[in-house]
Amino acid sequence: MAIRSLVESEYAAQTEAFASSDIFKSLRSGKAAREVYDEFITRLCRTHLNSPQILAFLYSLAPPRVASLIEHNMLEELGRDEVGISHPELLLRLARAAGFDQHACAELEGQSQDELRHLATDEILFGSLREFGLTVLLEVTCFEWMLSRMARLIAGFLCKHRKLSPEALLWFTHHSEVDQRHAEEGLDAVVEYAAYYDFEEQDFRLLSEIVFRENVFLRRYFGKIEVSRHTLMLSL
Amino acid sequence: MRITEARIFGLRIPFVETFSHSASARARSDSVVVRVTAENGTVGYGEGVARPYVTGETVESFVSCVVNELWPAVASADYAQITRSPDPFSALSSISESLPDHSANGVIAGHGARTAVELALIDCLLRSERLSLGEILPPKRPAVIYSGVITSGSIDAAVRHARYFKLFGIKHIKIKIDAANPVERVAAIRRAVGPDVSLRVDANGAFEPVTASGVLSSLGELGVAVAEQPIPRGDPAELARLSSDSPIPIMADESLVTLADARALTATRACEYFNLRLSKCGGIIRTLQMARLAENAGLRVQLGSHVGETAILSAAGRHVAAYIDQVEFVEGSYGKLLLAEDISRDSIVFGHGGAAPLLRGPGLGIRVREEVLRKYAHNIITLVSSAGLRSRQRRNKNVSTDEERHPSAGTTRKSSPRKVCHGSGNCSARLFVQAADKERKDRFRTATRLCGHSHGE
Repeated sequence: MAIRSLVESEYAAQTEAFASSDIFKSLRSGKAAREVYDEFITRLCRTHLNSPQILAFLYSLAPPRVASLIEHNMLEELGRDEVGISHPELLLRLARAAGFDQHACAELEGQSQDELRHLATDEILFGSLREFGLTVLLEVTCFEWMLSRMARLIAGFLCKHRKLSPEALLWFTHHSEVDQRHAEEGLDAVVEYAAYYDFEEQDFRLLSEIVFRENVFLRRYFGKIEVSRHTLMLSL
Repeated sequence: MRITEARIFGLRIPFVETFSHSASARARSDSVVVRVTAENGTVGYGEGVARPYVTGETVESFVSCVVNELWPAVASADYAQITRSPDPFSALSSISESLPDHSANGVIAGHGARTAVELALIDCLLRSERLSLGEILPPKRPAVIYSGVITSGSIDAAVRHARYFKLFGIKHIKIKIDAANPVERVAAIRRAVGPDVSLRVDANGAFEPVTASGVLSSLGELGVAVAEQPIPRGDPAELARLSSDSPIPIMADESLVTLADARALTATRACEYFNLRLSKCGGIIRTLQMARLAENAGLRVQLGSHVGETAILSAAGRHVAAYIDQVEFVEGSYGKLLLAEDISRDSIVFGHGGAAPLLRGPGLGIRVREEVLRKYAHNIITLVSSAGLRSRQRRNKNVSTDEERHPSAGTTRKSSPRKVCHGSGNCSARLFVQAADKERKDRFRTATRLCGHSHGE
């Protein structure tokens, strides 16, 4: 099974749909209202503040051959690698530069923690952590793939149209560099995960469809559900 | 205890995909949520759905029924004795009995509206006593097991959905069928899920009696467990004739809306299953009454749902599904599997195998996120009782006084702009229209039309 090419084409389709969405284009062109930029910043921070915990979860499930990659990614997020930049701190720096006061930043962190809480309390449709872990891994690596290609562009329009300083946008510029490596490692991790846990092709494809039945970036960054397919979605 | 305010939220929550069957296709939830507030400040939420092809209700007739028929009864009732009743089940029955029945041309029963108000009252009154509905309706099982439902569409898509359900460990699947290749469709799904998954079909009345019999014979060979509403609602004797010849047990759905329907179906032995849905049947008490009729007639029950229900109806359904003895299949609790966003703080969606835990919190057991209600409401109508109006006036007077005393305080919000209906007739309660944004005029027109009185501008 050509998992790598299947997954990469899925990531490319998700990224393309995100980049060509009206809301993203309005941010890029400067036509969006200030509130839309701020909502984008809010949701982006809320999404990625949890990255260390999510990576810790993935590390706990990681096949031995890619465990060290995920471990390094997690330590990097926490700023406990050789570079020493805490990514959650970079996100809060972005929020503060965008005008979020102490209360608003605390609220952001609270909302982010609430999402983690839901991860623990919501019922899980899958029969084991094997399937659940794959869905999380696919989404996380899809974000890394997109950020490796789009982070610098996003930083550019936030600088130009939202007047944020390069210092405030360090999270993006940092990600545009490190995620190029992470994106490749992420694809390796998915391939290895599928092999290690003996996924059959049909089940792998079904799980991939479930993750990407909507555009993950639009959902996380804008709260919009974008139907990425018409007929292949979960139906109840 | 008196109810001082009711607020109606007409919702439009997008689905993550279109759901279709032989009678309808739907891309968003159009549930109507009713929030009631008691004089002690406790709030409760109820929900109903308007389905013209089931109860005959439209969203407009639903809202009109709440405004003109149900709200006057609620606003004039004193629920003090109900909350202090030593027999809580009778208390629930009293709430149901306090609500008038609605019928009009083209409407079989105003059950969606009735359900929304009944659930809101039950939620509110139980919350004020810090009681869970589960304490009134003690569960007979430790968890509720839900079915998956496969919508109409291509056979390929149906098979793919079936594989999802297999992956999720779902043991019961309902397949929507119509006149287009029903047997091929079910056969393909049977091949995909294997022999251990229970399959049933729902035609939503898509077949003529003369063709239904042949289709049911073919489906019987595929191990279909139950056939729901193969022919349209009509004379129960016709369904009885089909049922007597069918190799598959028949379930009544659209044929079963009122208690009179339930009696007629049992009297004619027209079916072996009842599909009970809260919003279709007129609320919890009516549903339980129908379940009792089914039990006495030796029928089994499916606790069904309407597509697009939010967490409110899902929560109520879970309590009822856990309580009724002869429940064999349960549907609903799809939450964010179908809705772009659900209105409860905690997920209502079932887990692997369709299993969902019992709800133990006060009232219906969920925490409604009012900001989500507002986000997806295309229409909000506020109804205030005379007692509530006096209380508001006192509060507003106090606010004004405070603002005069502390003009720089800046923390007190003035009330939203609103209109008061000074009419009489049906509109015995004061009708306020909360419309502070760009949709104000549209909302105002809606409310004016609904209560039938001129409000002025």
